[in-house]
Amino acid sequence: MMNYFPDEVIEHIFDYVVSHSDRNALSLVCKSWYRIERCTRQRVFIGNCYSITPERLIQRFPGLKSLTLKGKPHFADFSLVPYDWGGFVHPWVEALAKSRVGLEELRLKRMVVSDESLELLSRSFTHFKSLVLVSCEGFSTDGLAAIAANCRFLRELDLQENEVEDHKGQWLSCFPDNCTSLVSLNFACLKGEVSLGALERFVARSPNLKSLKLNRSVPVDALQRIMMRAPQLSDLGIGSLVHDPESEAYIKLKNTILKCKSITSLSGFLEVAPHCLAAIYPICPNLTSLNLSYAAGIQGSALVKLIHHCVKLQRLWIMDCIGDKGLGVVATTCKDLQELRVFPSVPFGDPAAVTEKGLVAISMGCPKLHSLLYFCHQMTNAALITVAKNCPNFIRFRLCILDATKPDPDTMQPLDEGFGAIVQSCRRLRRLSLSGKLTDQVFLYIGMYAEKLEMLSIAFAGDGDKGMLYVLNGCKKLRKLEIRDCPFGDMALLTDVGKYETMRSLWMSSCEVTVGACKLLAKKMPRLNVEIFNENEQEDCSLEDGQKVEKMYLYRTLAGKRKDAPEYVWTL
Amino acid sequence: MAKEGLGLEITELRLGLPDAEHVTVVNKNEKKRAFSQIDDENSSSGGDRKIKTNKSQVVGWPPVCSYRKKNSMNEGSKMYVKVSMDGAPFLRKIDLGLHKGYSDLALALDKLFGSYGMVEALKNADNSEHVPIYEDKDGDWMLVGDVPWEMFMESCKRLRIMKRSDAKGFGLQPKGSLKGFIESAAK
Repeated sequence: MMNYFPDEVIEHIFDYVVSHSDRNALSLVCKSWYRIERCTRQRVFIGNCYSITPERLIQRFPGLKSLTLKGKPHFADFSLVPYDWGGFVHPWVEALAKSRVGLEELRLKRMVVSDESLELLSRSFTHFKSLVLVSCEGFSTDGLAAIAANCRFLRELDLQENEVEDHKGQWLSCFPDNCTSLVSLNFACLKGEVSLGALERFVARSPNLKSLKLNRSVPVDALQRIMMRAPQLSDLGIGSLVHDPESEAYIKLKNTILKCKSITSLSGFLEVAPHCLAAIYPICPNLTSLNLSYAAGIQGSALVKLIHHCVKLQRLWIMDCIGDKGLGVVATTCKDLQELRVFPSVPFGDPAAVTEKGLVAISMGCPKLHSLLYFCHQMTNAALITVAKNCPNFIRFRLCILDATKPDPDTMQPLDEGFGAIVQSCRRLRRLSLSGKLTDQVFLYIGMYAEKLEMLSIAFAGDGDKGMLYVLNGCKKLRKLEIRDCPFGDMALLTDVGKYETMRSLWMSSCEVTVGACKLLAKKMPRLNVEIFNENEQEDCSLEDGQKVEKMYLYRTLAGKRKDAPEYVWTL
Repeated sequence: MAKEGLGLEITELRLGLPDAEHVTVVNKNEKKRAFSQIDDENSSSGGDRKIKTNKSQVVGWPPVCSYRKKNSMNEGSKMYVKVSMDGAPFLRKIDLGLHKGYSDLALALDKLFGSYGMVEALKNADNSEHVPIYEDKDGDWMLVGDVPWEMFMESCKRLRIMKRSDAKGFGLQPKGSLKGFIESAAK
């Protein structure tokens, strides 16, 4: 019936379909829909920058306006992927510039971005509006200066957790005086001083500015002037809140904050004196999002007192110094909580920090919770079973016990039954991270019940090959599998090789896989890139088939072997 | 105070037999404790595969992203550790956070103790009279350079540059692991 409509009507209907997976499904229906979808698609997500070439992307979607790219494997965050592995954005920017695509938005994660790339980007796309860089590296404030100077219609510059080389604070001054389009600016991760005068003038002439995240170099008096000039802000990241409570600047700040009615999201506090926190109490009742995961200066009773004021929170990121009692306060205060992240405050966790008790309290008080990242000292099966019963809506459940192989401390049993309860009860689970002592039983449960699971992280778990096979056979929607320090070997790797073409990637490190098995896999599946990392000091040593692979990263690709791999990466 | 006392005890190793015996006894106790821990782990795990249980030796665990480690978890706490060298009449402190790797550390130690044979210790570690070791979070003495820098930085509590002859008593088999770092730094 749909095919009786002319193309223009179908195009119009397709415009209402925005989800990537739905658009992908549309393009598979018939040739006509493929063609229409191809011409109308503006937003593309590429989960692995080596899975396709830029040229092919542009050929497929000539109307591309918004591109999201990911580079290094997730484990790069935890120092398991060498610095120079790859993930370079420059070839993409070059190809997009050459083809004269009308790029307006670029979002990058875990990619290597150079100043040259940013310079080229800033000059090549007339209507470029939005740059989001998350966990990227390789660039400096010089690149940011180019973006500021050349992107005349910039609306969003969002820098999250990047390693940026800071060449002094002049980049903000590079925004031209007639630039008034900015809606979102985040430079919290920059280390250096910024020009406060330039920042204040910039804020004053940006009537649409809604989100502003400052770094620690912006002092209280500047913060006050900024808030006064931008009463429309709804998302504020405070870099520094350190001042004498009796000072004029602090009193002015308090008065300015009393007039703020629009802030619903608060973050930062990279430097904070606890006695200054009272200044922000007036905006707490309206907050739906609070990120204090970098606020090392807020601890104990000051943290709990702050939370008491936040009755509408839907999203909370904190450090584990809040303790189980503090989580009890969260549970009684934040009834609408949907997402909780609890990060460790010291490298190996504070034994006095959070345990299963805190998580159980949260599950009882916050029934809407569906996303969790929880670093804790210990966990029990009984607690996990209770949590699964109380919160069956989990989509993301990431549990990181700081002692990677710790059993249930009450029973000394593995945590299989606890995680089993989670996957059995939470049928919408899409992301799961395991930790603690675990046997193959937990993988049997995952294979049986985690029907919608897309991403799984496993560490120090399992007994043998069967564990991995349960997962590969059972989780039909699995896209990313990350395995480290598990006894999974060649049989597990080679039994269901067709599975890997339905997945985005597989990472295995410190397992029982051999070079020979990887070679065999690569031979059988030419559309997979199987990379082995040979970081041994002896650069000339050849890999023998029986040798165990320290690190292996496997991903499906239409682009073939990449040409930018460093010497120690062997693509089989 | 207690730590300082321990530091002094360490430096007093050079004095003579009675102190040496005392320290040796302590080391024996440490070895016994470590061995019993291994036993416990083996019995509790039940598998024949050895899983690493020394937290400070596991790269990338707990899975906290590098950016967060650098920018949040060390807030306000410098990474100072004490450094002693056998034969030197003083202790020094060094901030590991200011160094990017073993090469930097080696150069810094050279500046601190160069006049007491440090240069020789680092450049010809295979033949040197001195070997750099460190005490980790679990109280075990380890060879400097045996683990990745980030791991070392997280677990190092103090440093000692000890005489090679005493290293055997600690159960350490020096392999000149810092040698490569010095050579690369010299390039």
